[in-house]
Amino acid sequence: MSILVDKNTKVLCQGITGTQATFHIRRSLDYGTNVVGGVTPGKGGKQHLGLPVFNTVKEAVEATGANASVMYVPARFVRDAVKEVVEAELDLVVCIADGVPLRDMMEIKAMLKGSKTKLIGPNTPGIITPGAARLGIFPENIHTPGRIGIVSRSSTLTYEAVIETQKAGQGQSTVIGLGDDMLIGIDFVDAMEAFMADDETDAVVLIGQLGGSFEEYAAKYYKSLVNKKPVVCFVAGDAVPFGHKIGYAGDIITKGHISVQDKKDAMSDAGMIVTNRISEIHEVLQKIVG
Amino acid sequence: MNIHEYQAKKILSQYGIEIPLGKIAYTPGEAKRMAGEVSKRGPWMLKSQIQSGARKRGYFLEKEAGRGGGIRLIKRRREILSAAEQMLGSTLVTMQTGPKGKEVSRIYVEAYNKVKKIFYAGLVIDRMLPALTLLIAEVGSEDIATMALNTPEKILKVRLDLHKGASAKQIREIMEFLQLSPKSQRSLARFVKGLHRAFIDYDATMIEINPVGVRRNGNLIALDAKMSFDENALYRHPEITRLEDEYEEEDREVQAHKFGFSYCDFDGNIGCIVNGDGLAMAALDSLRRKGSGMACFLNVKGGVDKDKIASGIKIIMTNPRVEGILIDILGGFLRCNLIAEGIVSAAAEVGLNVPLVVRFEGTNKDEAKEILEHSKLPIVIAEDMETAVDTLIQAVEESD
Repeated sequence: MSILVDKNTKVLCQGITGTQATFHIRRSLDYGTNVVGGVTPGKGGKQHLGLPVFNTVKEAVEATGANASVMYVPARFVRDAVKEVVEAELDLVVCIADGVPLRDMMEIKAMLKGSKTKLIGPNTPGIITPGAARLGIFPENIHTPGRIGIVSRSSTLTYEAVIETQKAGQGQSTVIGLGDDMLIGIDFVDAMEAFMADDETDAVVLIGQLGGSFEEYAAKYYKSLVNKKPVVCFVAGDAVPFGHKIGYAGDIITKGHISVQDKKDAMSDAGMIVTNRISEIHEVLQKIVG
Repeated sequence: MNIHEYQAKKILSQYGIEIPLGKIAYTPGEAKRMAGEVSKRGPWMLKSQIQSGARKRGYFLEKEAGRGGGIRLIKRRREILSAAEQMLGSTLVTMQTGPKGKEVSRIYVEAYNKVKKIFYAGLVIDRMLPALTLLIAEVGSEDIATMALNTPEKILKVRLDLHKGASAKQIREIMEFLQLSPKSQRSLARFVKGLHRAFIDYDATMIEINPVGVRRNGNLIALDAKMSFDENALYRHPEITRLEDEYEEEDREVQAHKFGFSYCDFDGNIGCIVNGDGLAMAALDSLRRKGSGMACFLNVKGGVDKDKIASGIKIIMTNPRVEGILIDILGGFLRCNLIAEGIVSAAAEVGLNVPLVVRFEGTNKDEAKEILEHSKLPIVIAEDMETAVDTLIQAVEESD
């Protein structure tokens, strides 16, 4: 089954005529992703990569029946691009761009509230269901279809986690990069809910990092579950020293001292399996599945 | 990006927030003259303009700078010149600067304002909600640093509407929390509105007033101001970009920013080049666990321009503290071959004099390995991060 995207997901690409989009959409098409069209304002009516191009998301959805979008648009246009997706009531939008202004993200979060659209990102490698659909920039050659779900806040460590499942002789059901930014769309809890409900996922690998309370929320959610699948976690940032800061406001919000150790403690307390290095994940996976 | 107190105060005063009369001075002579302009008889405040909190309780590294802190109350006019001489050009160390401190290149000369009460006000984004959050605290007996760490529950948190700011009810809540007299109500409402508008208009990530003073007539006055801005939104605010004080940043940091990369210094001897903060953190953790340490890292993010990548790699190669280089790239958006080309062209220009271990995975990794093998540079290619770190640590030990 997998989560959020599969072979039947009809994918639209926003910003399809750009260089990066062209490079990655071509690869996604080769991978078998059901990309049905693209949107670039002003280029409606043309063809690109053999796909129809539209001026607006609304037109594209009417013509193609798309239910998800992957956008390669530059950061400063992300807010308006997401707005179009929310108004067209797509199920999913994946935003690759990094550098989206926080104020724009605050507005995006407000738009998403109460809408049917889920946002992955920004600043994410995207989502991939191996063998079925690739929305984003994943190096698809490292993935194989399988039964391990992966969700990560760090883009690059997502790939590291995929390699770990490979070493354990396992493939992946779906891999999601949540995004590296301060404000993001879906979080660990959303992804875990979907993985827990997915018949084709046996275990989940969760990669957290310093900053925010996403890992604590994940732990709290996991603790509340009755029937749960095993979750293996790694949290990066243990050795990160005191950063450059000028005030106290940030400390107050994070209650002064949330460290990687606090996150790890919360997660093991909730029954998740916490590893101290990312390279231990495959050993744990070999023990719990396979 | 951060700006100085005097710059932040100027912005806030344009939003109806009252500030003390003040002028900036770069020399002791100027300080004396400015003092005369802001107040005839004093007292005056001389405030070191470095971007840090806790300046008052900070100390100067130089003996000649005397025992006073970075913020000094001066009662007699004839003392201004000598105090300014002591502070200007000296290095101020605070809880937030680290032991190296920061050089004071200018001081802000202000008229001293007598107030009957002070409190702390901060405006930030609480990322988990997410919401604009106004923080208010009584800081009479206890300072905000201690409260933030030990008793954050004693700090009032008010969630502001992104577009509308504080409601009348929220203003009353703050009045009650601080036990302000009714005559402060209008001034408080204007103060909060000013913070909110300035925050939104300038894409701020933090505004902090520590402290706000309450005058005898009930009006509020910002006795300090700190502002940080969202670097991703600076393109909307060229006037803020111009305020950037490059002196506050490390040279290498500034260079890296110019290429769209991020750079950070640490105290070890291994230079790292990665394409994600998570990867940098994992490398940092791994190096430390193995008894080594990171000198610095460069995050080339999703860089696609090979000349910029080469320039970035040069920043690491020419750092004298770097005794070994670890390059760990998991290509997705970023293509590994661009990094390989960058390594070769940077090495050709500045020479490669330290061990270098690289690990490539993902997009175009085979092309990347081929480029390095063809280059005949003494580079070791490792299959995974742990092996890369082990190999590098050993190579650095052997080259000693």
